Amino acid sequence: MIFKFANPNKFLKISEFLFPYFNFFFLISFIYGLYLSFFNSPPDYLQGETVRIMYIHVPCAWFSLMLYSSIAICGFFSLIFRHTLADIAIRAIAPLGASFTIATLITGSIWGKPTWGTWWVWDARLTSELVLLFLYVGIISLSNAFDNKSKGDKYAAILSLVGIINLPVIKWSVDWWNTLHQPASISKFSSPSIDTDMLSPLFVMTLSFLFLSLNIIIIRIKSEILQRKIDILNSSKIN
Amino acid sequence: MNTLTLIKREIKLSMRNLGLILSYSSFFVLSLLIFTFGVGPDIKQLNTVYIPIIWIIMLFAIILVSDNFLLSDFQDGSLKELQYLGYSEESVILSKTVVMYLILIIPHFLLIPVFSIFYNIGFNDLFQLSLDIIIGMPSLILISLIASLLTIQIKRNKVLQFIVIMPFYVPIIIFTTSNNDEIFYGSFELNKILILIGFFLITLPITLLLGKLILTEINK
Repeated sequence: MIFKFANPNKFLKISEFLFPYFNFFFLISFIYGLYLSFFNSPPDYLQGETVRIMYIHVPCAWFSLMLYSSIAICGFFSLIFRHTLADIAIRAIAPLGASFTIATLITGSIWGKPTWGTWWVWDARLTSELVLLFLYVGIISLSNAFDNKSKGDKYAAILSLVGIINLPVIKWSVDWWNTLHQPASISKFSSPSIDTDMLSPLFVMTLSFLFLSLNIIIIRIKSEILQRKIDILNSSKIN
Repeated sequence: MNTLTLIKREIKLSMRNLGLILSYSSFFVLSLLIFTFGVGPDIKQLNTVYIPIIWIIMLFAIILVSDNFLLSDFQDGSLKELQYLGYSEESVILSKTVVMYLILIIPHFLLIPVFSIFYNIGFNDLFQLSLDIIIGMPSLILISLIASLLTIQIKRNKVLQFIVIMPFYVPIIIFTTSNNDEIFYGSFELNKILILIGFFLITLPITLLLGKLILTEINK
């Protein structure tokens, strides 16, 4: 079934049909999520109003990881089944994932200043997120470094696959490294489970981020497909 | 048999290029000096940062040297030729790794003991460091060879090699430079070595597989 939809032309048709719906859902869920997170959720008893950063920060962090795994899945399909759409998807998703990672780091440090008293700690989570950003940067720059686009696609696919093997190793080793340098008391995420009043805005915001990233990916894939068509037309004109 | 002939070929080629070892050694010493000037002459401070500095210099040096092992073969077409002659891609990479390891390990065993005296490093630490280098270096070399294979066709942007490679060095650097037995529970020297061997055993099959993929892509 995947292969049926993986035809670029079919993808263009389907995405054109889905795009307005995704836009609509994104707008609705985003506005509703913002309303919930600003007006309809309680401030934290410990962190006060700053906890509202969470409604941006946590979805960003989730999507930074999820988009990386989707890149790796695309890399798998690109290497095994040699599918052009998977190559294009890697190119389309990577910058988006990198921006989510940057957003996670920035919102995290803005949140960290009032709660932990510092912009940055070399905590396992933070450090592995930073390494994730460098993995994204590697994929983006490798895929754009070649004159021959398809070569860049292949190498980016390979790099993404190794990256996904390496990510848990990095996470695990940074965890160990961190226990060496400082007490692991800093991660407050693992402390008490979250209240449902806070969970519902988080859920709605995550949903809106999902539609937003789907929209951006559709736009980027579409423009990449059109760009490749233009390239083919141009090269045939020269010949 | 296949790989052995390739190893012999690589050794022959490297022996004609002995200047590489010399320049590698001087790179090593000069970087050590630069780091020392940066840290300051306090021997206590230097003593604590000596081992991490050694590893970081080695890491950069390996990345720089690995290009030499592939670039000339790529440019004169021997990389393609070897494939046509029936040598498997894995054996090409394996032979390059073995020879690079042999060539880089020599300057280390000549230089590190001497400089350890300058930085007031005890015999036990030196022994541990040498053991770590012997065991940890193959994984570093394999990863750097893969990165230079990935970037070999890029002419302008050599920094990219560093960007691609750095995230993959994080775990190895963490484990080689840590010298605290708390995280290794008990007899830490043995456990550290076992972890480094584990890294090597993970790296070897993955890099050989990827190297095959990349080489076939390059030779297309």
